Amino acid sequence: MTTTTQPPSPVRGSALDRTLRAEYRLILRSICTPGRLAALIILSAISLLTAFATKAGSSLDPLQDGVGYVNANVATLIPVAVLVLGAASLGDMLEDGSMVYLWLRPVPHWVHLLAAWMATVTVAVPVVLVPVIAGTLVIHPDSTLLLSVVVAGLVAIGAYSALFVTGGVRFKRALPWGLVYILIWEGFVASAGQTATKLAVRSYVRSILEQITGVELKLANFSLASGILVPLLVGALILAYGARRLSRSDIA
Amino acid sequence: MSATPITPAPMIEVENASKWFGDVVAVSDVSFSLGPGVTALLGPNGAGKSTLLRMLCGLTPPDRGTVRILGADPRKDIAVRGRISIVPQQEAMFEALGAFEFVRLAAVLNGIFNPDEIARWALQVVELDPDEKRSTTTYSKGMKQRVKVAQALVNDPAVMVLDEPLTGLDPRQRNHLIELFGRLGDEGRCVIVSSHVLDEVERFGSRVLVVAQGRLAATGDFRAIRDLMDDRPHRIRVRTDKPRELATEVMASVGALAVRLEPPSTGRPGGFVVDTNDASLFRTTIATASQRVGASLVEVTPLDDDLDSVFRYLVQR
Repeated sequence: MTTTTQPPSPVRGSALDRTLRAEYRLILRSICTPGRLAALIILSAISLLTAFATKAGSSLDPLQDGVGYVNANVATLIPVAVLVLGAASLGDMLEDGSMVYLWLRPVPHWVHLLAAWMATVTVAVPVVLVPVIAGTLVIHPDSTLLLSVVVAGLVAIGAYSALFVTGGVRFKRALPWGLVYILIWEGFVASAGQTATKLAVRSYVRSILEQITGVELKLANFSLASGILVPLLVGALILAYGARRLSRSDIA
Repeated sequence: MSATPITPAPMIEVENASKWFGDVVAVSDVSFSLGPGVTALLGPNGAGKSTLLRMLCGLTPPDRGTVRILGADPRKDIAVRGRISIVPQQEAMFEALGAFEFVRLAAVLNGIFNPDEIARWALQVVELDPDEKRSTTTYSKGMKQRVKVAQALVNDPAVMVLDEPLTGLDPRQRNHLIELFGRLGDEGRCVIVSSHVLDEVERFGSRVLVVAQGRLAATGDFRAIRDLMDDRPHRIRVRTDKPRELATEVMASVGALAVRLEPPSTGRPGGFVVDTNDASLFRTTIATASQRVGASLVEVTPLDDDLDSVFRYLVQR
């Protein structure tokens, strides 16, 4: 076979959307490992089973039961699932050294973070949010409750994805760090005072639930607009920090 | 009007670059510049070769000093990153992708709008089948190396940094890639290749960078480096029909430090091995010395100006 070292006239251009799409597809395929998906589907199935159990032992206020179910999933299933996906999106590449194939390209580093965030959200919505929505409808098929779980779930997934994608860039062991954040910070410290509450995604998501359904929840002190906008804006800032961090990282 | 010769700007410029990890100095005050062609980077394990190569690509910044590729800082300049390519030492690639998808992705990320055509070409250059669908995780080490080389070709790079690219390849593929790297260098690219297999390095050409304990021990043509190493006597074998007579003359006239006679062996005449500090003087005077004693010279062979000897001397300093 005769070969030449001159490529066949490459057509060049700068199109960030093509780059973003290519990286998005790559990361999507990378994080969807059979083991990871199976674990998340099992967790979602358990969540759905608890919905049936709640329905079976229904109290006098199904709306309250439904909000309680969503609140519990926002506190556990959603952040844990997003952590598993988000931390792996870029963190695995940094760990095994394959990040070099993205980093050393004429592409701004924020594109890597944005692609990872999009991929994490894309997987988390069908694998985690859809079962939670289904469980909510099992408990109480009400349009207000449905709206609240959709909005709260999307905001939670968006914010946690930004947090944990960046966590994968920032920490070598992002998974334990993320669990510490979810269980210790959001679970205990954030309930200690007003200032700490402002630094927990869960408080904003609870506020969305409370504002839409009218069901009172603890540590839900924000307006609907704040509940939606603050986590998403902070998430965008965290992604920007992650891109800066990636630019300054040592790449193996 | 007399024309002033234009010296091409170096493609790689490293000035007083140092890098340390905690208390460990990986690269210490290294300076060199390289232009087009193939340069071999040599050094024992842990000498700082990979760290130096990573610095050249901007993958890690120097703690002190500067690294310029095509006049720009590869860590900060997005455009220059598109003109560099790397074959990293680590095996990991994107597990979810096959070879074609992997190389195609490299083309897309380099802003190439006909990535399918370019990826097919690059895989064919390294003699891999572009239609092979299986994941690269099932590939042998040698096949993975060739995929890594293919992805490094897609952006038509000006600077190629290859970290142990021949590891795991069979002899035929080694020859093929050595020839490929040579062609890439001949076409005006700056190709820097690290390897620990000296026989292979010798075939890349004679230009070397030798790193030992994080420092640049030598740079340039390894034969010229050897000539400059006057603290190590040159060892030369001479075969002749009158070894004893010529050895005596050599001791008396051409500045030999030591002479050791060698008996004749089957089909070969006897001779001697001489140690001298001045190899060029020896080469110019041995013929006249042999005429004086009426000896016929059968063989005059330097024994330690090969890359292996030069490398050994440099890293033992």
